[in-house]
Amino acid sequence: MSKIAESVPPKGGFSFDLCKRNEMLVQKGLKQPSFLKTGTTIVGLVFKDGVILGADTRATEGPIVADKNCEKIHYMAPNIYCCGAGTAADTEAVTDMVSSQLKLHRFHTGRDSRVVTALTLLKSHLFSYQGHVSAALVLGGVDVTGPHLHTIYPHGSTDTLPFATMGSGSLAAMAVFESKYREGLSRDEGVTLVAEAICSGIFNDLGSGSNVDICVITKGEKEYLRNYMLPNPRTYVSEKGYSFSKKTEVLLTKITPLRELVEVIEGGDAMEE
Amino acid sequence: MGDSQYSFSLTTFSPSGKLVQIEHALTAVGSGQTSLGIKAANGVVIATEKKLPSILVDETSVQKIQTLTPNIGVVYSGMGPDSRVLVRKSRKQAEQYYRLYKEPIPVTQLVRETATVMQEFTQSGGVRPFGVSLLVAGFDDKGPQLYQVDPSGSYFSWKASAMGKNVSNAKTFLEKRYTDDMELDDAVHTAILTLKEGFEGQISSKNIEIGVIGSNKIFKVLTPSEIEDYLQEVE
Repeated sequence: MSKIAESVPPKGGFSFDLCKRNEMLVQKGLKQPSFLKTGTTIVGLVFKDGVILGADTRATEGPIVADKNCEKIHYMAPNIYCCGAGTAADTEAVTDMVSSQLKLHRFHTGRDSRVVTALTLLKSHLFSYQGHVSAALVLGGVDVTGPHLHTIYPHGSTDTLPFATMGSGSLAAMAVFESKYREGLSRDEGVTLVAEAICSGIFNDLGSGSNVDICVITKGEKEYLRNYMLPNPRTYVSEKGYSFSKKTEVLLTKITPLRELVEVIEGGDAMEE
Repeated sequence: MGDSQYSFSLTTFSPSGKLVQIEHALTAVGSGQTSLGIKAANGVVIATEKKLPSILVDETSVQKIQTLTPNIGVVYSGMGPDSRVLVRKSRKQAEQYYRLYKEPIPVTQLVRETATVMQEFTQSGGVRPFGVSLLVAGFDDKGPQLYQVDPSGSYFSWKASAMGKNVSNAKTFLEKRYTDDMELDDAVHTAILTLKEGFEGQISSKNIEIGVIGSNKIFKVLTPSEIEDYLQEVE
């Protein structure tokens, strides 16, 4: 039996059968399990020479902090990075997938990737999943046509903006941007403003916290400043160490070897019964 | 593709036990432009003639040596359009491997997967074998490697190999000149001299293509001016 030479693409896209089942279960009274969300503050702004992206580093699972120092700024291409808010698995998977597609595209065309290419690949994917892929992204980069900054919503709509914020801390961060942003910022001014916006999210939003990550992208160059600021250090570590009351025996002195070192002699006589 | 009307293979055994279509494919390769590869101690070089059908063709638009991954390159002898399909599939497979294992694909794995594709086309319904042989040059943790993949899907690792029109002369020349401890620059010179052996007309930086990968593990196609430098060193 000869097999099919070319692989046939699967007919139709996502199968929504399980979604219907989930809705039916919720109606019957089942509580849906929660998933790891990034409850987040992510921001981006365009400055004189390029784009600066910023993000906090807290990943939450309901009321619990699941990861105190996660990475929310994802690599898409050497000149394009993407911050992700929403369900952590969704943002990781979708940015990974589009990064792969961009890499293949670069091989085929021999050119650097453009931000609008990443934008279109992301939005088409998210739209085809009708919002079930819960990824809200801030995409920024510098290509031959200049610096670009976009926001992408889980249903697939996009905005092109000079400064943008997403995630649960977006209102806190946007307040900072709206009062202090102006065009033609220098690199240091831009980085300070982004850090300030993220800190505003970290301190005023429960879903955001820990540290500030920043990524500066300019023409031909990018700087990934992981943990640029650590405004939440763990301050109360006892320096004295631990001391036990006198009755406690510290086990170290109680360890007795079970057996002396045994030497194995090859080819010795068999043991006599 | 693959409908019931085409679900019989066009490549079938002859009474003598040969697959005639593959033999014909190898003939197609043998009439293609010469290409060769040499594995040096610290890198690999692959090279090919770039004879264009007319002087009116813009030679800068033609690139026979292609990059599959940052550390693996490939050259072909035979039908150009067939090689394009294989290059596209190989690039995709390399990327899928990376997505699955988060590790750059080892050279042997990529060669094996490409060879599998070529073999599939000798056994599937309604398709013909590829009319190209590929020389894959790469540098990974196991060091520099050079593989040749044939239309049948068989692949071999070579220290030096040639394919295409002038293959027997080129291989004899390489056998004489090859040493195990060759450096990459020497290998490039030897490659140029081997190409020169069977070259019709004047060899120049415009009608050959050379790709190298050194200990920096980055595959690079040499620019015409770099080829010019090597040509002058050889003369």
